Parts: sequence; C-alpha cells; structure tokens
Amino acid sequence: MNTLRYIAFRLLQAIPVLLGVSIITFTLMAATPGDPVRLLVGDRASPETIALIRDRYGLDEPILMQYFTYLKNLVVGDLGASLRYRVPVSQLITQHYPVTLFLVIYTIVLTLPPVIALAVWSAKRQNGPADQVIRMLGVLGLAVPVFWLALLFARFFGVTLGWFPVSGFGETIPDHFRHLFLPALSTAIWVVPILVRTLRAALLEEMNRDYVVTGQSKGLGDRQIFRTHVFPNSVLPTLNLFAVIVAYLLGGSVIVETVYAVPGMGKLMVDSILARDYFVVQGATLVFALTTILVMLAVDLLSALIDPRVTP
Amino acid sequence: MTTDKIIPAALALMLSATVLSAQDAIRIASPNKVTVLDPIVSAAGGNIEAYGQLYARLLRKGANGALEPGLAESWEVSEDGLTYTFEMRDAKFSDGSPITAEDAAFSLTRVAKDEKSAYPAGFAPIKEVTAVDEDTLQITLEHASAPMLSNLEIFNAGIVSKDDVEERGEEGAFASDPVASGPYMVKEWKPNDRMTLTANPHYWREGLPKIKTVELIEVSDDNARATMAMAGEIDVNRSVPWAQVEEVNNSDGVSVALEPSTVLYLVLPNHDKAPFDNLNVRKAAAMALDRAAITNAVTLGNAEVANSTFSNALNYHDASLQPPAYDPAAARKLLEEEGLVGAEITMMITPSFEQLATLLKAQWDAVGFKTTVERVDAGLWWSNMAKGEYQVTVNWYYNETEDPDLAVRWALCDTCGSQSYYTNYHNEELNTLTDEALRERDETKRAALYSKIQQISLEELAQIPLYYAPFSIAYADRVKGLTLTPALQWTLEDAELIAN
Repeated sequence: MNTLRYIAFRLLQAIPVLLGVSIITFTLMAATPGDPVRLLVGDRASPETIALIRDRYGLDEPILMQYFTYLKNLVVGDLGASLRYRVPVSQLITQHYPVTLFLVIYTIVLTLPPVIALAVWSAKRQNGPADQVIRMLGVLGLAVPVFWLALLFARFFGVTLGWFPVSGFGETIPDHFRHLFLPALSTAIWVVPILVRTLRAALLEEMNRDYVVTGQSKGLGDRQIFRTHVFPNSVLPTLNLFAVIVAYLLGGSVIVETVYAVPGMGKLMVDSILARDYFVVQGATLVFALTTILVMLAVDLLSALIDPRVTP
Repeated sequence: MTTDKIIPAALALMLSATVLSAQDAIRIASPNKVTVLDPIVSAAGGNIEAYGQLYARLLRKGANGALEPGLAESWEVSEDGLTYTFEMRDAKFSDGSPITAEDAAFSLTRVAKDEKSAYPAGFAPIKEVTAVDEDTLQITLEHASAPMLSNLEIFNAGIVSKDDVEERGEEGAFASDPVASGPYMVKEWKPNDRMTLTANPHYWREGLPKIKTVELIEVSDDNARATMAMAGEIDVNRSVPWAQVEEVNNSDGVSVALEPSTVLYLVLPNHDKAPFDNLNVRKAAAMALDRAAITNAVTLGNAEVANSTFSNALNYHDASLQPPAYDPAAARKLLEEEGLVGAEITMMITPSFEQLATLLKAQWDAVGFKTTVERVDAGLWWSNMAKGEYQVTVNWYYNETEDPDLAVRWALCDTCGSQSYYTNYHNEELNTLTDEALRERDETKRAALYSKIQQISLEELAQIPLYYAPFSIAYADRVKGLTLTPALQWTLEDAELIAN
C-alpha cells in the first residue's frame, strides 16, 4: 500500500514538472524566428496568402493566448494538430514513438549482458591482462564518435557484407530486430564502456568491504559472497547512472536515427524544429519528459527492491 | 544444424524474402518531404513531386518535352488568344467516377482564384473557367498569355474530384486518401516518413503505369541515402551530392544520371541595403569571382557556368550574354573609387552552402571586402529574406516550366509579388517588358523581349549568376525509363523495373 501511495505521489509530482517543460518549450519555440507557414506553402506564395494562413492557424494571436488555448486542449488530452501535416500530433507520436522505444529497449538488451560479464571479469582479475584489455577497449569505445561508427557499420555490415539492412524500421517484429540491429549496436558500443567502468569500480570497492571478510570467516564460499552480497550492493550506483543514460538515449536517438534513416522520435523532433511545427515539438518534448519521469520512477522502485535500506 | 549455422541461414531467408517482395515496387528516397496532398496549398519541392503522380492535368509533357494531350483530348485557342476551349477525354477518377469538364473547371478555378492557392502566378490572367457541357471546358482570359497552355501542365493545375471535395470537405478530401486522376493513388501515408502509392486502375493511359507500387521515402541525410542505394534498399536516390557521384558510379548496380534542370545557383544582393545598392559594388563583387573555378570546385565539373540571369534550360535563354569577366584588379579599383575598400559585408547562408560561402568569402576578401558569414537555418533564412534583413546571400531556384514568364516574375520583376526573389531589385522597364512578353504571341518578338530582360538584369547585376546545376539522381540498374523532368515530375508512369 505504501508503495502504491509513493507511486501516486511521484506521478502527482510529475504534473508541475510537465507544466514547466511545456512553458519552457513554448517560450523557446515562440522566441525562435522563422515562419512555419512560409515553409509549408513554399517559396513562391504571396505575403497575402501567408498572412491568411497564419490567421487561420491562430498564429497571430498573442503568445500568452496561444499558450492558454494549448493548455486548455492539453487538459482534455488534445495535443493539437501538426501545422505541416494537418494531422493530430498524437497520431505522429503514436507513429514515431514505438520506433524509438523499440530502439532504446533493444540497445539496453544488447548492453546489459556484456556490461555484467565484462565488469565482473575485469573486477575479479584486477590489473590482470584481461582487465587491461577490457579497460583499453572501453576507452576506445568511449572515444569513437557514434555517428562515425554508425556510418562505418552501415557501409561494412550493410553494404559490403549485406548482413543487415541499413535503414528503416520494417513491418514485422523480426523485421524490427533486423532493421534496428546496427543502430542499437552502434549506440551500445558507446554505452557499454560507461557502465562497465562504474560497475567495475563499485565491485572493487564492495569486494574490499569488511562484510566480505566476515562472510569468509563464517566459511561462506567466495562465489556465494560475490553472488549474494557483493554484486547486489554494487549494482545500485550503476542502476542510477543507467537511468540517466536511458533518458539520454531517448534524446540522443536522433543521431543514429539520422544515420540509419530510422523514422523515430528523434527524426520527428528535428524535422519539426526545422519546420517550426510548434505543436509537434511541444508534444514530443512532453512525451520525452514523461518517459524520463517514468524511467526514473521505475529505477527508484527497482533500487528499493534490491536494497531494503532504500525506502521508496 | 547447429545454432551458429541457423542464424546465418535465417538471415539469408529473410533477406531473400525482402528481395522477392520488392520486385514490383520502386523505392525512391528523397530529402524533400510530402506534407500536404491538396495540390493548391503548397509549392514546396517534395509536394510538387507527389502531386504530379496523384493529379493528371489537361495537358502533359511527352518524352521530347513537347506538350501533348492529357485529360483534354484536343483544344482550340480563339483568334485573339482570350478563349481556350478544351474537349475532355473519356477518363475516370481512381474511384471510378468520370472526370468531367465540371471537375476541371472546379480545380482550375481553385488554383487560380482560391485565396489559399500557394502559387497562382501562372493562372493570374484567367478571368473565368466554365464547363460548357460535360466534355467541354472553356477558359477565358483577361488578356493574352503566351505560356497559358504550358502553365496548365504544371503541378498545381492537377484535376481533383469536385464531388469528393464537396462531399468530404477540403480538409477531409485531401487528408490522407484523395481521389486521384493521375497514374497513382495513395495507399498509405506515414507523415514524416514515407508515402506508398499504388497504381490507379482507372488511369486514362491504358496499361500504364507498369510499376504497381511506388514508395516515396523521406531521408534527409545524404550519407544515409547513399548507403541505402549501395545496399540495394532503394532504387532511386533523388539527390546525390557532387562529392558522392564518383563513389556511387563505382559501386555495383547503381549509377548517377545528370538530368537537365532549370536550377540556377546565384548570389542574391539586397538592393535596398548598402553597399549592394551601389551598382559599382555589385560589379566589383561579380568581377572578384572566378565563377568557372567556383563551379568546378563545388560541383566537381558537373555543372555549367551560368552566363545569364536565366537558366540555360529556359526558352529564350540568351547564350550570347556574359556577366563582367573575372578581374580582381579591376574589382579592387572599383572599390577604391567608391572609397569602399575594407567594406564590411555579411553573407547569410544556410548550412548546405558552407563550401560555396568559403570560396565567395575568400575571393571577395581578396579584392577588399571584409566578409562575415552568418549561418541560419532555412526557416530563418526565408523570414529574413521576406523582411529584407540581409546584405547578401546565396541560394538557387528553379522554374516549373521551360517558359521564362514565371521565372522572371519570381526573380527579376519586383512588382510581380516577390520583390525580385526578395532582393528588392527594381527596374521599371524590366517590369513593363515582363507584362509585354507575357502577352506577346509571336515567338521571335517574345525572344527579343526576353533577351532584353536578360540584358538589363545582367548589366545591372540584379543577381550574380553562378552555375546551372543538373539534377544528380542515382538509379538502380533495374530501373528503366525513369527521369525527373525539369518541372520536378517523375516519369513514373512510363518507367519499368526489369529483372537483373
């Protein structure tokens, strides 16, 4: 019951956060020069036509009025309509969001097994040859720019070897796995080293704690101490970092989505900003914010589950 | 079979399935977006390319570029050039209903008179469009217009279904599945991603189109499109950057075609702001530029140096003209005479002009300008242009028809609606000549008028023409008969896919 109340409280807290995000986005977009209507109707439209359409779309109203209209619609769950496509923003988000979500989850799935394996291996044989190699590869993975690596992967695995598609999302679930493999891999190569470093450091710290000696003196095996005490205690800091990285992956998806022509939220966001498609930018930002809030909440709940000292 | 064999086998299976299902579909990747399906509300690149497939016009362009009967079987022009009478063909919309003169009158009245019409310039002379009977359409003009017929072939003169628009309303009829009169209709549209077109079974040209499905995929990144083409995931890459042409040609199964276009790259000085309001400064800026070297460096020899304010693909382009020749010493002298050596100028550019801007800056600075480059995105660029808030910039434009009337109205005539491409270039004589040339129906006299227009605008350096760029489009070998016309229309209805 306590947990449920905690979740409800956290979700309630999300409301002012989202409101703040919407005000900032709205102000930023309104302050950005550039006319969405001109980009929509094309170069050669007359000033009269542009003025007429601006008026029809309500873009000539005072900014504050526009924001309140927006807020009023938002309360009843209406995110407004895209200026460019004349379709509801919710339709665009339903179309693009699952793609990015799939990509982020796929990246996580590709990330976790190597992180755990490499960090444990590295920590258990500290300063051994394997540890050195893993740490060196880690620096390399961090140093390589994602867009460049993505481009190389596309050319090598996609064009030269022909193993994986280099673009799109596909129609079926197996298709999604194939199409998003290279984008997810390119991202994972950058995420794995970060998490390996944190987890390795945490493992090393925990392995030298007094309770390990206590366990050993009680006659517990090293394996059991590691599995039931050291590892769970080391996971917590990594988990928190992981939540930050997931939030970052959502926003950072734009890089791999561009290189691999994946029709996800990153692409929608960038295109909408360039086209000054105000309501789409606004809607997409809110969805990003909400996702981040939910991920943070999930991680906090998970931390409480792992470590009873952390109370939700 | 062990697992390490199953995975490659499964992959191979999935790959072969993709190849098989792709046989009857052509996939075109373009940086240009399709954003709206109503042919009158936008004149932006991606939309123009899609409208042509969805909506047939009264006339069409044949393979040699000549006007041929389209939805109109035949036509007559009255002696005074004020009345056009079209005999409609027995054709059907994609929903099976007949395409009547009533539909044509409705569609053309919309593009000419509706206040939402984004680009009505070509139809401005129209007084009235009426359906005389079911098959006869009459267009009456306020005054003669030599390019009237060719303007009826451009993208926004497509015929839409009057019944459907009245039934569903404008927003509804064009939302996602408009009734089509062209070779294709919309099968599925995912805004901001792709549009799938399928052959219109009722299209009037029997047996066409041969390719049943067309996917228009929007990919903004140049490298992504190039990789997709090399991996065989697309059949057509709408825009290959000059630097990639050789690489594409060296890869298997795909090659680049350089196709004629009316695209003209040019320097746009703001005639309302110092120092470019001064003809001598514009002359100095033009003479400072080694345009041949610039063209060669930017396009790697794939474009032709421009000699006129008209594209060389336009009718009446005057090949005998030349802007002031490259002469940095004389350019410097001009600036010295004006006391403007060291004049600070700001060049506004969008990101795609980075390379060109570097070259322009170097050559201008060499003769005594002090150039600052200001980078903006397309949205800001257009609003600064419209407000006249810039000193000098670079861009390109193209014309929908080979007739120069619309190009002149857009780029050189300041009273024609767009302040001479927002450069505020003003010449009374040129404005008068523009209207005269529109009304003149004698070919030779028209040619003389347009030659005069080019002469004036080049002498006064309304703009500094740089080069004529062809479209550079990559096609997979299995695509036959597909080109992009200078009017930005894919010849998809005549194209086919052959087995490799």
